[in-house]
Amino acid sequence: MESAELWRLMGIAVVVVGLRLRWRSTVVVVVAALVTGVAAGLPLFSAEGVWLPLVGKAPRWLTHAGTTGIVNLLGKSFADNRLMTLFILTLPAIGMVERYGLQEEAGRLICRVRAATVGRLLLVYQLFRILHGVLGIRLNGHPSFVRPLVAPMALGVRGSQVAIERVKSAAAAAENYGNFYGQNLSPVQAGILLVFGVMQSQGLKLSVWDLVRHTLPVVSVSLLLAALQFWWLDRQLQQKRGEQ
Amino acid sequence: MERLLSLETAYGVTGAVLLLFAMLTWSDRSSPRHRSGGTFWFILGLIFLFGGLIPHWVTGLLVLAMVAIDGVGRVSSSRLVEPEPVVSTSRGHRIFWPVLSIPLVTVIVALLFRYLGMDVNRGALVGLGFGGVVSMVIALLVTSGLRFAGLKMMINEGRRLNQSMGAVNILPQLLASLGVIFTAARVGDLIAAGVQQFVPGDQLFLLVFANCLGMALFTIVLGNSFAAFPVIASGLLVPLLIKTTGPYVVDPALAAIVTLTAGSSGTLLTPMAANFNIVPAALLNLRDQYQVIRFQLPYALALWSFHVVWLWWCIRSTAP
Repeated sequence: MESAELWRLMGIAVVVVGLRLRWRSTVVVVVAALVTGVAAGLPLFSAEGVWLPLVGKAPRWLTHAGTTGIVNLLGKSFADNRLMTLFILTLPAIGMVERYGLQEEAGRLICRVRAATVGRLLLVYQLFRILHGVLGIRLNGHPSFVRPLVAPMALGVRGSQVAIERVKSAAAAAENYGNFYGQNLSPVQAGILLVFGVMQSQGLKLSVWDLVRHTLPVVSVSLLLAALQFWWLDRQLQQKRGEQ
Repeated sequence: MERLLSLETAYGVTGAVLLLFAMLTWSDRSSPRHRSGGTFWFILGLIFLFGGLIPHWVTGLLVLAMVAIDGVGRVSSSRLVEPEPVVSTSRGHRIFWPVLSIPLVTVIVALLFRYLGMDVNRGALVGLGFGGVVSMVIALLVTSGLRFAGLKMMINEGRRLNQSMGAVNILPQLLASLGVIFTAARVGDLIAAGVQQFVPGDQLFLLVFANCLGMALFTIVLGNSFAAFPVIASGLLVPLLIKTTGPYVVDPALAAIVTLTAGSSGTLLTPMAANFNIVPAALLNLRDQYQVIRFQLPYALALWSFHVVWLWWCIRSTAP
């Protein structure tokens, strides 16, 4: 590779450094886009509309004929991908029922599952979160479910107090396992739509339903492995209790 | 009918809701950032309403303006928003109806699209838009009743959730744009050229291994598999694996979704994904902030290995 070509990788460097330094992620992404575009010799604006009379007079980085501008690309793909942000329409109803006790009612529902062990409880919670994915409901369960509900319930199981730190981190892990792998089970979830959009820009038109279908084996194995890990946790808790 | 069932309708309704969020934010004098925050959601609302009509460079400048507003720290607050007191808990299972209606309407509209011989994918998205509206009506019916005060409260609750997520809401759209510009600048080709120097193109297992490893490592670095996917897709997955020549037929849908979730193993391992790994450790008052990642480590490694073997086996079994 020539060094001129390597400049085009600067955008990736910007993302890595920017996120590591905890700059605003929106700013990091846009700066990476601008840097990459400029390094590749793209103008800021396409030579069309009000920019057409400026071709030849304005500097080449502002506009020149024959190449799509960075700002045009940014605007077009942002508008094309509005579908990724349609979930905003669901927020008023969710906010309203939360205010009227959705989480308390959900907690009552989980409590009805008679879970004798920490492992089984967390596996049920993981299934519950996978169900969220199937229904296309997107939420971060750490503040809304794990902290107020699942972790206290897990610590409420008899004998789980011997390894509090481990039981708590297992509860957080169950949330991530269920959330990450379950969310691809609905065609309206951001992950599926991202894959769909990116592959389309690569010239491959996929069906979102095929993407959902092919995620099934991964979800099954993710559950299986979690069952193993939680079973192992139960065993450890039992052994620790035996020692005491 | 055709018009009503278009994506533009869903975008239009979303735009209108965003404009309402903007107005409520502007009038919320108690928030120190009500002006800039309101302007941010106002611009996003404009893009939702008119993104298909105005020239792309104008949309692009509007996006830059939104990011500039967020850049000076005027949109999202990083602190956790205090949970509002619960109004009443006597609604029973009816409280689930609004949230259940969203997926239900989504599926019904998608099936309607199939029945009318239209694009089912688009049907699911249009359905999400309709589902949002239907859920709002049902939410009013099971809580406050169809009254203006209830409607105002509901929009305000939506605004509260939206505000607590902040500018992160538009991150997926921005990341998709970054992917497009990476493609225009042929960044993927560069990465692929780099990797191709190390991976012999005819070794299927090594190709699959490099693809899944690249995805996981890049996700660890970025802390977000959604950010890593466009780069890996344009640099490794499509040019090296999907368009590979040989006796194999690679199903692009299978390869793409397995590559994405191979990245999720990376998310389980990285402190860069702070909202999933570090914040929960703080929330649960754990002594060690890496305790959650430590618990997830064996699971992530095992599941990642499954991704490699499964993808390799699926492609391999297509050979005659």
